[in-house]
Amino acid sequence: MKEKLSQFHTAILIYMIQTGVYVFSITQVEAKYFGTNGWLITIPVSLLVCLNIYMMYWVYRLGKGQSIFVILEKSIPKFILTPFYLAISTVWALIGCLVAKEYVLIFQMFAFPTTNPMVFKIAIDVLAFILLTKGLYNISKASTVFFWSTIWMSLLLLYYVGEFRIERLTPYIFKDSYSMTEGLFQIYLAYLGYELCLLLIPYTDKKTKLFRAVFYGNLIRTVSYTLSGFVTFGVIGSDMLKVMLFPLLDLLAYIKLPFIERIENLFYGFFLFTTIITLVLYFWAAGESTQRVFPKIKINVHYFFIILVALLISYIPTVLNTIREWLMYLGYIQIGFAYIMPLILILLLLWQRRKKAV
Amino acid sequence: MLKKCTCLLLLLCILPIFGCGDQRILEDLGFIQTTSYDMLPNGELSFSVSIPQADPETSAKREVLIATAKSSKEARMIMSRQTGMLLVSGQLRNVLFGISLAENGLHGHLDTLFRDPSISSQVKISVVEGSAGELLIDDYKQHPRTGRYIDMLLEKEALGQTIPKVTLFNFARDFFDQGVDPVAPIIKKHGNNYITTNGIALFRDDRYVTKIEPQDALVFAFLKSKFREGQISIDLTEINGKKENVMFSSLISTRKVKVTRGVQGVEKVTYHVKVTGSVLEYIGDARLNNARERRELEQRISQYISKKGDAMIALMKKHQVDNLGIGTYVRNRVGYEQWKKMNWRQELQKIPVECLFDVHIKDYGKFR
Repeated sequence: MKEKLSQFHTAILIYMIQTGVYVFSITQVEAKYFGTNGWLITIPVSLLVCLNIYMMYWVYRLGKGQSIFVILEKSIPKFILTPFYLAISTVWALIGCLVAKEYVLIFQMFAFPTTNPMVFKIAIDVLAFILLTKGLYNISKASTVFFWSTIWMSLLLLYYVGEFRIERLTPYIFKDSYSMTEGLFQIYLAYLGYELCLLLIPYTDKKTKLFRAVFYGNLIRTVSYTLSGFVTFGVIGSDMLKVMLFPLLDLLAYIKLPFIERIENLFYGFFLFTTIITLVLYFWAAGESTQRVFPKIKINVHYFFIILVALLISYIPTVLNTIREWLMYLGYIQIGFAYIMPLILILLLLWQRRKKAV
Repeated sequence: MLKKCTCLLLLLCILPIFGCGDQRILEDLGFIQTTSYDMLPNGELSFSVSIPQADPETSAKREVLIATAKSSKEARMIMSRQTGMLLVSGQLRNVLFGISLAENGLHGHLDTLFRDPSISSQVKISVVEGSAGELLIDDYKQHPRTGRYIDMLLEKEALGQTIPKVTLFNFARDFFDQGVDPVAPIIKKHGNNYITTNGIALFRDDRYVTKIEPQDALVFAFLKSKFREGQISIDLTEINGKKENVMFSSLISTRKVKVTRGVQGVEKVTYHVKVTGSVLEYIGDARLNNARERRELEQRISQYISKKGDAMIALMKKHQVDNLGIGTYVRNRVGYEQWKKMNWRQELQKIPVECLFDVHIKDYGKFR
C-alpha cells in the first residue's frame, strides 16, 4: 500500500506553496491599494480563502475521497476535458516557471547584473526536475525540511523592535487608499497555492484530515503575512512603502552584524527554498493534469516536457514588470479556477448521486 | 545509476562556467567607501570618492578620485577612466553632501542611491560645513585613512547622542512620511588636523534650512526619542545667578508626547521628558549629598533644559520645519480629514509646544 500524506507535512506543504516571490512585495501592495494600516487586509482575505477551502472540503466529502479528475470524467466527455486539461496544465506550468524567473531576476538585479538570468533559471529547473521525480510524498517531506530552514527568519522581526514606532501605524484604517477592489485581488494572489489541495485528495486518507491541514497551512501563512505587515508598517510607514518595490529586502538590509554587512543577499538565498516548493508543486499539478490526457507516457517524461515547454515560454518575458503582469493574469485565472472548479465538482457530484439513486 | 551520476557531475561542471561572465576578483575591485557631492559656484556638481587600497604593491593607503559631472553615475564613469580598478559601490558606507548642495535639495541624488540595488540602505548620510570634497580629499595625519576616520567618528558620536545616526533609509523615511522632516549630522574640517561633528542639519523636505548647534544637540535627542547613554554639560549661571556648572552623564531618557485637543482643533502639544543620570563633575555651591539641595539642583537643570527645548522649537517654528515629528502625533490625534485639510507647516507656527523636563540625579559618584 502506498504511503499517504501526513497532516503535518500537508499543512507545511500548503504554507510553502503559498509562499512565493510575492512575499517580497506584498506590503508595498498593501500600502499602495489600502493606504494606512493596509496590513490589516490580510485578515479578511484570509477569511475568503478559508471560505474557499470550505467549498473544497465539500468536494472531498461528497466525492468520498475521489480524485477530481475521476469525478469530472464520470460526467463530462473526454473531448471537452482534453483541451481543458491541457489549458489548465499550461497555466500551472507557467505560474511555476514565472515565479522562479521572477526570483531569478530579483537575485540577478542584486548580485549578477549582467549574467544571463536563464542560466540560473535552468539550474533551478534542474533542481525542480530532480525533486519532482521523487514523487509527492518525498516532496512534502523535503518541503518540511525547507520549512524549518526558512521559518527561523520570522524571528528576525524581533530585530526591528528598536526602530518600530506605533505613531507610524496611525489610527486610521485604509485611508489614502486607491482602487481597493483591484487591491483585494492583488492581495488574494499572495495566498494562491492552497487551491492545489484539490489535487492532493487521492494522496490522502482519513487520517490526514486534508482540509484541516490546508486550513492550518493557510493560518501559518496569514499569521506570517499579518505580523510582517504590522512590523513593516511600523518601521517604514505607509508613505514610503508605496514607493518601494521590494520592502522585505530593504528591511532585511537593515540587519547588520558586527563582522558582516550587506547580509540581505545571504537571506535572499534562503527564499529559494520556498520558491522551489511553489514551482515544484505547480509543475507537479501540471503533470497530474497532462497524465489524464497521455496516460501511457511515463510520468518523468511528462515532467521533463512540462518544464521544457514552460522554460521556452518563459524566454519571452525578459522585463521584471512584464513577468509580474503575466503572473497577475495567470493568478486571476487561478482565482477563477479556485472558485469555479469546486462549484462545478459539487454540482456534478450531486447530479451523479441523484442519478445513482434513480 | 552510474550514467545518472556522470550526467549530474557533468552538469555541475558546466553550470559554473556560465557564472564567469559576472565574476568579481577582489584585487581588481575598487570598493568605494566614501563619496562626496558638492555644488560648485558655477552650478556644476563635483564628486569625489575614496577607495581603500588592498594592493600590496602600492604604498598609498587609499585612492581618491575626483570628477565634475551632471550626475553621480556619470561622474563614476569619468572616475572609472582614472583608475585601473573596477569601481563598485557595494561597500559604500558614507555619503557626504556639501552644504551648498544640501541647500539646493538632495532628493535627486538620494533617489539614485536608493534606487541602486548594489548600495545598502544603511549608508550613512552627513552634511559637510564647507566643501565635502575638500574634507574627503585631505589626509589627517594623526588619524586612520579619511573614509574610515569619518565612519568611526560618526558611529561613536551617534552612540553618545551628540548627533543622530542618519542612514539613507532613515532620511528617506522622514522625507516621505507626513508630519516629519529629515535631519542629518553636520561635520566640519579643522585645518589639516582633524574633523569634528558640528551639530545637526535641519531639512525642510530635502533642503537644508538651518542647524542646531553642537552644544544643544543632546536637547534635540531628548525631544526626538528615548535613548540610553550620553552626556551633557550644563552651565547654570544664567538660571542661578551664580557660577554653577554640571556635567550630567550616563543619561537615560524617556519621552511622551501629549496632544491636547480643543474646540478649534489642536490646543497644545506637550513633551514630557524624564531624564535620569549621574553627576560626576559639579562646580558650584550646592552640596550634592544634601537631598534638598540636590532636588533644587535637579529643578535648575530641568529649567535649563526646558528653556533650551523651547528655544529649539521656536527655531523650528521660525523656519517652518518639523524635524521632531510633532506632526505625526498631531496627525494621529486630529482625524484624517482634518489632517488632510491642514497645512501643517503653517499650523505648527500657531500651536503652542511646551517642553516639560523631569530630571533625576541617580547618583553623584563615590565622594560626598
